[in-house]
Amino acid sequence: MTSTAEQPPRPINARGYDRGFLLGLYETMVLIREFEEGVKYLFLEGSMPGTVHQCQGQEATAVGVCAALNEEDWITSTFRGHGHALAKGLSVEEMLFELFGARTGCAKGKGGSMHMGNMAKGMIPAIAIVGGSIPIAAGMALAFKMKRTQQVVACFFGDGAVAEGAFHEGVNLAAIWDLPVVFVCENNLYGASTRVDKVMKTPTIAERTSAYGLRGERVDGNDVLAVHEAAQRAVEECRAGAGPVLLELLTYRRGGHSRRDACHYQPKEERERWLERDPIDRFAQALIAREDVQEDELTAIRDRVVKQFNETVERAKRQPLPSLEELCTDVYA
Amino acid sequence: MPVNYSIRMPDLAATESEITVLAWCVGLGERVQRGQTLLEVETDKATMEVESVVSGVLREVLAQPDQRVEVGQVIAVMETEERAPSIKRVSEEASPTAASGATATETPTPAATATKPARRGLFARNRAKKEDRSDSPERPGTNLRSVPGSAPLGTVPLLRVSPAHRRAAERLQQSQQTVPHFYLQTSASAANLVARRSACSGTKTAWDAFFVYAAARALKRHSRMAYRYEDGTLVRQPTDAIGVAVDVDDDLFVVPIADPASLTPEQISDRLRQLADRLRAGDPEAKRVQPAWMTVSNLGASGVESFAAIVNPPESAVLAIGKVAPLPVARENQIVIEQRVNLTLSVDHRVVNGRYAADFLHAIVHELEALD
Repeated sequence: MTSTAEQPPRPINARGYDRGFLLGLYETMVLIREFEEGVKYLFLEGSMPGTVHQCQGQEATAVGVCAALNEEDWITSTFRGHGHALAKGLSVEEMLFELFGARTGCAKGKGGSMHMGNMAKGMIPAIAIVGGSIPIAAGMALAFKMKRTQQVVACFFGDGAVAEGAFHEGVNLAAIWDLPVVFVCENNLYGASTRVDKVMKTPTIAERTSAYGLRGERVDGNDVLAVHEAAQRAVEECRAGAGPVLLELLTYRRGGHSRRDACHYQPKEERERWLERDPIDRFAQALIAREDVQEDELTAIRDRVVKQFNETVERAKRQPLPSLEELCTDVYA
Repeated sequence: MPVNYSIRMPDLAATESEITVLAWCVGLGERVQRGQTLLEVETDKATMEVESVVSGVLREVLAQPDQRVEVGQVIAVMETEERAPSIKRVSEEASPTAASGATATETPTPAATATKPARRGLFARNRAKKEDRSDSPERPGTNLRSVPGSAPLGTVPLLRVSPAHRRAAERLQQSQQTVPHFYLQTSASAANLVARRSACSGTKTAWDAFFVYAAARALKRHSRMAYRYEDGTLVRQPTDAIGVAVDVDDDLFVVPIADPASLTPEQISDRLRQLADRLRAGDPEAKRVQPAWMTVSNLGASGVESFAAIVNPPESAVLAIGKVAPLPVARENQIVIEQRVNLTLSVDHRVVNGRYAADFLHAIVHELEALD
């Protein structure tokens, strides 16, 4: 299975972009990284219950795609959805409150890590079932098309979802009716602990789109600008009514599948190769290569993000939990 | 102003099982960074690393290697300069490990102390553990002090065993209780075996390798031995591997030899030694239970003449080998001294009957005696 990690990472060219826009991308990626790291320690300390599926190393996919969407556009997400949520615009506050099980969380304390979402911000609560959000995204896109709203939905899923029947059904439907969905496959080479080349005969996921009649494109998922450009193209085509597009974003997760995963199946050399392609480091280098960005600006961004996170954690620990009377509220349709 | 911070065991187990401390990666008095690995633990799923949540100096270690600990249990004390995180315990009840807790003071933020404890024991799983903790973890609900005639607390000797030992114990008990065993005993001439082994230069071929070789060849005309009984039918085992019982530090492991029918005894021996070395080196991959259709177990080195082993489920049989020794036998009405070895085949009666198994055992003997 060829992965782009076999070639050395191409340096990102950040010229030709508005400075403020680029710093915004950087800040969101750092926000995701620090959020995930902070949450990891909250678990190790024993402050936070449940489990969590983290996305350190995959920041560029969510940020690059969401930066190509408007406020009226929607995303669907997965159990590994903290990055998607932050990139779409959910606040650290509503997410941390949710992770602590508080009534003031984005899912009123009833959803937790795997069901982040906010209907007012264009993110339906994530579906944790692998591939489960793909037919839903197709349905949402059908609604947009029938109502002629020009909205687009970006549907995030992983390499593991491609083998699900729901993938086939959702993608096919979107293809035959030219629905405005950008199917975003975050291929991090592992479905839990199974390497993707064990469950797929074709070398890429992008080429499978020819079986459905839509365009598929493979992108370096750790290059936030490459992701952004590919996503912009895809979104434009969708809005023009040209039908869905699938983007295969090659990336890698630095942590285990969930926090109880020791991750021994990732070979050491592979991990090290991908650490060299870290999306945040690469982008930072590209920013510093511009004359109008200094390294201490980037450090200041990181410090600000960490401070905000820590302050929000203190508030989150004091948030009210749902009461017993609310046990069945919002739980049954 | 440095404060003491209690490091607690994080919730790493996939199920309600305990976590065993394996080894500390940092020494007392050593400086530790936040995120640095403090120790390695074993859960029901895998060996995992536990990272430190604060930077500081390791002052006390409260859990030793091989000790089972519970989630939330204080396992170390760090002296830290940083403002230690104000911990909101998932359950507000005080941990019974108060002895060490008394020295640990976590810097409270003013707002936190004024908080109404809204988080009282809502997470059932942790609550159950807390309730059990006042009793002996081995026997919840029984207070040793109240048992009449028991030795004063602290003098009952306990021998802790490894998780591998516990797993083997459970599997073997289940086998003995659920598999209808029968036992066939025979002996074979080991003359050719011994000759071939001596003829080999360099490292001597492992004895077990010959029996693996013979069994693999005997399987060809007795293919039913490679089936298992499941829900009323016989299902072909997924593998042609034969397992060899290996003892590593008093723990019993079974090392699989894949595709043994295509290998010579010498090749089998090399493979066996390689795998046994990896096992001794602590390779976690080598310790995983892997499928085989039969196991070979050899106690000859310990002087045992013959014995019957317990079938290793879901295998159909286990071949127990005794020591190779010169014995008097009758040949053409004469007594001669010949190298002999005893073989005992334990068989799952749901898979094959006595006659079939006896033919299989006879075929093994034939293969051993036909070695050149």
